Amino acid sequence: MSSLKKYTLAFALFITLALNGSLSLYLHPLYGFSSGANLLLPIGMMLVALIDDTNQKELWLAFGTGIVSDVFFFGIIGIYTVSLPCVCWFLQKVARFLPELFWARAVFTLIGTVFLNAYNWLFFNLTGIAKVSLGMLLKGLLPTFLWSAAFIILTYWIWNWLAIEFPFMVKQENYRS
Amino acid sequence: MKKFLQNKKLLSVCIVVIALFTVIGGSVSLRNKRNTPLVIQSLGNDIVAVGARVVDFPIGIISGGFNNVNELLNTQNENNYLKSRVSELEQTKARNSSLEAENKQLKSALKLKKTLTDFDQVNASVISRSPDSWTDILVINKGTTSGIRKNMAVMSGGGIIGRIVEADAASAKVELITTTDKSANRFAVEAQATNGKKVHGIITVIGDKTLAFTQAVDSKKLKQGTRIYTSGMGGNSPKGLLVGTVAATTHDSFGLSDLIKVNPAGELNDPTTVTVIKRAVD
Repeated sequence: MSSLKKYTLAFALFITLALNGSLSLYLHPLYGFSSGANLLLPIGMMLVALIDDTNQKELWLAFGTGIVSDVFFFGIIGIYTVSLPCVCWFLQKVARFLPELFWARAVFTLIGTVFLNAYNWLFFNLTGIAKVSLGMLLKGLLPTFLWSAAFIILTYWIWNWLAIEFPFMVKQENYRS
Repeated sequence: MKKFLQNKKLLSVCIVVIALFTVIGGSVSLRNKRNTPLVIQSLGNDIVAVGARVVDFPIGIISGGFNNVNELLNTQNENNYLKSRVSELEQTKARNSSLEAENKQLKSALKLKKTLTDFDQVNASVISRSPDSWTDILVINKGTTSGIRKNMAVMSGGGIIGRIVEADAASAKVELITTTDKSANRFAVEAQATNGKKVHGIITVIGDKTLAFTQAVDSKKLKQGTRIYTSGMGGNSPKGLLVGTVAATTHDSFGLSDLIKVNPAGELNDPTTVTVIKRAVD
């Protein structure tokens, strides 16, 4: 059982993926949400990348999370499969110079959400899956920003605990007495 | 060229980008062309769908509680309205059953087995929605094991809301009728004009997710409030499913053709339960 501990983060992301879809369903009708995006899962992944910035295996976790979420939400590969590893790689690089404080990580996670939104917009328009105007992208930025800020505040402590206690594919027993 | 080939980083980036475009192109093509997804994709979807059902259960209870309180507050008004409709409903029901019997007799007289209006229904719950508001994709808890197939029409709240775009064993994806996906199949529809003739066309999306009745020949004869139904043409959905009503008739941006805006009849904003329509005629 202890050997499965190194996969705790992957399991937590799996639950977050399911929760992301369910929350999108119930939050969608709310005022202001219709033009925004629910980035609960990417926020989790980005926070993990910022907290556990020296673990290169987190990039593979981001890649795997991207594939599973793309297949489940959209039925095509290339949306989160590309954007999540890229943004996590960037955040891991940035994390080396950032203070290990909540606000610093929150600000860079919010910047990450803007990048994700912009990439999704570009991807959908290029592949023809959705025709979204630039105005709609800009209109959706503020609600996405606000919802993302709420999700960061609510879930930061969970991801902080998980990333420190259960880093992906790292046997913690070797470092514990 | 030699310099480029010696630069391993640049070469790797190029290979990754090419591989990426291949995967994206391949997966988009697979989604549009295949009737069933790949086995691995289907398995992955069903595993996540099981997780989504587990997570959805407590959220559904909480959300249902809020809805119940809201419904309780509207009970009196709703009750008064329903009372006024009860006698009308009984009358419609009696007429409906006599018409149904007559229809059956006429069909047997003509030796018709199944027509475009015949269909079966599968009820399902929505367990997930795409995280952004641009793609309009829902995930439901029924799949091919319940007889659901790609391109079947999906209804909620009394009208059509979309169609199945991917059917896995225990779950399926529904693309809403408001989708701006260029490769999406459109519903062939018809409406009765003021002169009694049928006007045929297709449902498309214009601007900010507004439905429009396009490719109609005689659109000027459609009055505001005219009901629009599926025509059964196109081979995917049966005839007679309500799509919406005519909202307004205007001209397109070039002023060359008429544009009929449609008020959707289905519950597009908050569809928690849906009905998948299985057309009887192949």
